[in-house]
Amino acid sequence: MGSTKGAAVPDQTSSGSDGKTNRWPGTRVVGFGIAAVVGLLALGAAFLFLNLPDADTFDARVERIFIENDDLTGAAEIRLLEILASSGTAFAEVLQSYRVIIFILMVFATALLVTSLVFLVTIVALNRRMAEIERTGLEVNSLLISRDERVVVLNTMEFKLTEAAIETLAVLAEARMDDDILTGAEIEAVIQGKPAADCDEAAGATRIKRLRDSLGNQMVSELLVKNIARKGYVLAIDRNVIRMM
Amino acid sequence: MTRTALILAFALLALPAHAQCFADYKAKQDDPLRLHYGVAEISGDCAVGNAERQLRQRLARGGWELLNVVGVFGPDGLDERRGSAGPNFLRF
Repeated sequence: MGSTKGAAVPDQTSSGSDGKTNRWPGTRVVGFGIAAVVGLLALGAAFLFLNLPDADTFDARVERIFIENDDLTGAAEIRLLEILASSGTAFAEVLQSYRVIIFILMVFATALLVTSLVFLVTIVALNRRMAEIERTGLEVNSLLISRDERVVVLNTMEFKLTEAAIETLAVLAEARMDDDILTGAEIEAVIQGKPAADCDEAAGATRIKRLRDSLGNQMVSELLVKNIARKGYVLAIDRNVIRMM
Repeated sequence: MTRTALILAFALLALPAHAQCFADYKAKQDDPLRLHYGVAEISGDCAVGNAERQLRQRLARGGWELLNVVGVFGPDGLDERRGSAGPNFLRF
């Protein structure tokens, strides 16, 4: 999805928002997954605690045997029935402790499931992000233009530019902050302070070319200063990362 | 002569009412389960319903819960139950 959109509009901002729309259902799915896991645990715990027999069940069984059989009245027989009931009670106590152990194990299992789910989703998100970064080649987190020093700081990289190039970059940055796309003639017009109709498209294109050249790395500047067909030039960065000094 | 005959006749008539009545029953205590079979004397009407009412009260005082009354019988039935009831023979 990101690649098709990226082909149509090679714009950093659009792919950034793509990432956000991709991530949002992801977190919702994670929420549902965790809720489902916790719900399953709660259901299991409820079954565990409701379905296992307790001590009274055995006693009631023995009591019924005693009531229903009128010949079980001898002292020895009664003593045996009592022993039967007490062994049942002991067994029920064992079951009780097993139940607690099973519950603790289930809690652990749930914690592990939730953790693994979160990690899985994190890995998927990171992979997507890595792929995005690989595709982009350059992720601009901050662009700092210092007109006085004629320096532009891209993330942590510092580039010295000529007066003209810094002028062009500043114009592009301002246009980017306004979400504008400038043609070569418009760039020239802003710099020269003349109406765009009086300016030459080629002059603007030359400025762009010089800016790209002076930024040194042709590929980096190609990624940074985008040319949109029949529209003009634009900085391929999020406008929120631009700061003017 | 007729007076003594009359008294005798009354005495004979009154005999079943005065005859001793016994009931054997089953009772229990909870936590831990203790069972108990016993024989007890019943006053008044010699019937299972009456025996149940009386025994429930008497056993509750001793901390036992009546499960059921097996049956009621006269003094002639005592001996065969003496062994089974053991220490609970005429205890309550």
